[in-house]
Amino acid sequence: MDKQLELLQGTLDMLILKAVSLGPLHGYGVLLRIQQISQDRLEIQQGSLYPALYRLEHQGWITSEWGESENKRKAKYYRLTAAGKRRLQTEAEKWNRMADVIAGILGTSPEEV
Amino acid sequence: MSTIGSRLRSWLRRSLGRPELESEMETEIRFHVDAYIEDLIAQGVPQAEAARQARIEFGAIENTKEECREATGVTLLENFLQDLRYGARSMVRSPGFTAVAVIALALGIGANAAIFSVVNAVLLRPLAYRDSDRLVTILHGGDDPVAVANYIDWRNQSQSFEAMAAADYWSANLTGLDHPDRLLGLKVTQNLLPMLGVQPFLGRLFVKGEDEVGAEHEVILSYNLWQRRFSGDPNILGKAMVLNGNSYVIVGVMPQGFRFAPFWATHAELWVPNAFGDRIHNRGGNSLRVFARLKGGVSLAQSRAEIASITARLQQQFPGTNGNVVVMPLKEKVVGKIETPLLVLLGAVGFVLLIACANVAHMLLSRAAARQKEIAVRTALGARRFRVIRQLLTENLLLAVIGGGLGLLLAVWGIRTLVALSPGDIPRLDSVAIDTRVMLFLFGATLLTSVAFGLAPAMQASAVNLSDTLKEGGRGSSDGIRRNRLRSFLVATEFALALVLLIGAGLMIRSFYALRAVDPGFNPHDVVSMVVSVAGSNEARPGRRETFYREVLEKVRALPGIEAAGGINHLPLIGDMWGWPFVIEGRPTPRPGEFPTAVYRIAAPGYFDAMRLPLLQGRDIAASDDSKAPGVVVINEKAARAYWPNENPIGRHISFTSDSKPPVWLTIIGVTKDAVEGDWQREPYPEAYLAAFQNAEYLESPGTQFQYITLVARARTDPGALASTIKDTVWSIDRNLPVSEVVTMDEVVDQANAEPRFEMLLLAVFAVVALVMAAVGIYGVMSYSISRRTHEIGIRVSLGATRGEILLLVLRQGMVLALTGAAVGIMGALLLGRLMAKLLYGVPATDPLTFAGVATLLLAVAVIASYLPARRAMRVDPIVALRYE
Repeated sequence: MDKQLELLQGTLDMLILKAVSLGPLHGYGVLLRIQQISQDRLEIQQGSLYPALYRLEHQGWITSEWGESENKRKAKYYRLTAAGKRRLQTEAEKWNRMADVIAGILGTSPEEV
Repeated sequence: MSTIGSRLRSWLRRSLGRPELESEMETEIRFHVDAYIEDLIAQGVPQAEAARQARIEFGAIENTKEECREATGVTLLENFLQDLRYGARSMVRSPGFTAVAVIALALGIGANAAIFSVVNAVLLRPLAYRDSDRLVTILHGGDDPVAVANYIDWRNQSQSFEAMAAADYWSANLTGLDHPDRLLGLKVTQNLLPMLGVQPFLGRLFVKGEDEVGAEHEVILSYNLWQRRFSGDPNILGKAMVLNGNSYVIVGVMPQGFRFAPFWATHAELWVPNAFGDRIHNRGGNSLRVFARLKGGVSLAQSRAEIASITARLQQQFPGTNGNVVVMPLKEKVVGKIETPLLVLLGAVGFVLLIACANVAHMLLSRAAARQKEIAVRTALGARRFRVIRQLLTENLLLAVIGGGLGLLLAVWGIRTLVALSPGDIPRLDSVAIDTRVMLFLFGATLLTSVAFGLAPAMQASAVNLSDTLKEGGRGSSDGIRRNRLRSFLVATEFALALVLLIGAGLMIRSFYALRAVDPGFNPHDVVSMVVSVAGSNEARPGRRETFYREVLEKVRALPGIEAAGGINHLPLIGDMWGWPFVIEGRPTPRPGEFPTAVYRIAAPGYFDAMRLPLLQGRDIAASDDSKAPGVVVINEKAARAYWPNENPIGRHISFTSDSKPPVWLTIIGVTKDAVEGDWQREPYPEAYLAAFQNAEYLESPGTQFQYITLVARARTDPGALASTIKDTVWSIDRNLPVSEVVTMDEVVDQANAEPRFEMLLLAVFAVVALVMAAVGIYGVMSYSISRRTHEIGIRVSLGATRGEILLLVLRQGMVLALTGAAVGIMGALLLGRLMAKLLYGVPATDPLTFAGVATLLLAVAVIASYLPARRAMRVDPIVALRYE
């Protein structure tokens, strides 16, 4: 297994939004979904997931309701709200622009300067 | 943004449903951990190992929970409550500090709320008429009444006003009920009450045509009069009442609290129509007060320009009749005079509050020093600086709120005292109350106060250097220079503010004594006076009036305990003043508007004796000066000097009749000393006393302004006790005569000085509070500084410093603060002098005696306040002080 990357500051919120945008998930499910999509290349401190979820819900990007898990246990499911969807879009755009710029800078060779 | 709503909802739900949040978090996190364990077991990890691994990878559960709580904001309220509890505990632990701080704040906030509520009621609230900011008065020189013909011309020729109305002062004898009563009222043009836009409580206002001659027998009552004399009879409308012997039909009752006019004749209790009759041609005999309502869209300046051009035209046509006509907003007319004193008082209490804040601030600073260790420990345990500041601010808020609450009680009490102590003539003072605006002010003042006194100490306290504080064991030998500087600044500020206040109070006291030193001309002690009105009675008949007045005076003089008795139409200071033009025999007739004038008084024999108003020349008015004797008049010194500057006025002739009639010559028989007239502080006017028993108008005129006499009696002992005897004497002749306005001249003089006394008293109280607080402040700072310098002083003593040197060392520190503050304060007082000057009489706002005296007093207080701690410093035992380290 490759060495896991530490999460960049402030990106966890965006990843959670993306994860729940694919369908309602409980907290543990969010963790699994991110790990699955990232093919285990990201290291996520499990405990830090919940303050982020609470914060996002407090801000109105996601909403939650209690439901039943696959193994018939009571679990809290998070879903993206309309506002959250817009938020995810702008965040993703911003991230992509930023990544392009950074990649452009890092990819510059001496001849190009 | 929609999320603000959702945040608030989520915060509320979380804060209110706190137990639910806890159990939900618990369930959710347990589910996570259990699910992970199951997955690990499914991957083949043994159960015990799986549980261990899951817990490690999840991290500290309690931390997670706390972060979740913070994320939803529930901690805000929770921390606040926790801080409050903590604050309350620490307040209880230091009761001395708490008591002093709370008292200082309560005094500051309470005094401010009380004075602000007065300012609110008197200055800020609009007058109680519809769109009252559109109402104006139109008067000569802004004060003096207007002639009927001029009013009619202004009304007819102007375009700026929706309505223009006028009122005459009127007094009426109410008879036909159980006891007679002299009532004060106004004769108003029909449109006056409708113009004010106040609906009557019962009945109607006057309608068109009711102010015509012969149709003017309706009356509208004030609510109080209706209650007092008619027991609030609901069927009062249409009933008749007898005023001055004429029957009037009651057509309306005004609502409770309705008052008109607001600046003059304020005790008017009834309103009747004013029928001008043949007065419509009069351009003299000014008696009308003119009111108007500006048309929508017309500015005050426009209306002023229009009135200026109309009066300029009339002045050309009728010289001397339309000079200096001023359009003034009604509210300015009502509150203009009281505005400056109230603002000065508001400023003064503002200073008191600032001083209180400064005091509490450096008490907090000293306490913060003592709490440094506690704060350092909290910081070491992970409290963020912001969190520490917030906790300290919460404690301060608690202090301020308790101070504010007590301040509110103090304000309620203060308002009651203020109203009780205040002179009767401050307009609208009866409406002072704690309303929403006052509560908002109180609330704002409390919040601002808590920040003002608390922020700087909290910032400093939280900026602790951990290792130093903990290492030194919380007993630092040196205090931060910055903190010392702040503390010194606070004390110097207190001194500066206190000095300004003390100078203000000192000037008021000096001014008040200058006022009291004014010679009223007469001797007010042991004199009682009362108004006996004959209007509408048997005694008013021509021929009967003189007999009656003579009989009353005879009988009163015969009473035991009476030294002298006389009569006059209008008493000085509280009576009306009529300025009448006259001509002097043998001099060319002056141009219109340039006639010599004198205050027209009608005196019955004995008046000068009763008042002890000395005659400087000539003789008194005698009982024998009757209609058969040649006409006589006594003038005052001022008139003699003004009109006969280098001559002897005795024996000269003057006439008060208007130019259309042949002159009725009166011989000047005497000159009296000047007596104060309308206003205690004003130079006396020229004055003429005509003999009552030879004045045909006074004895026969049907005009109510001639149908009363003010009896003046000098008693050998207590004048107040004689009042009822004198009343009985009047009633022994005619039971139906109202006797009113019973006062002693001492009361009259007191009343004339009531406003300056009131202002002086309040300023003095505020200044004393300020002085005490400033003294406490400097004492506190010096004590603190000495306790911090014990070690240093110990070293100095062991190196050979004498007690005197130590004393000087400490005193010097205190003096530097006090002198700096005093210097700034003197500059401030000089700057504020211009405002103060308006309140002062006979003393300049820069009075060097007051400045020097107050500065000396303040420095003396500073010396004493620093001496007490300095004595402690002198006793420092170097061995103990040094071993202590």
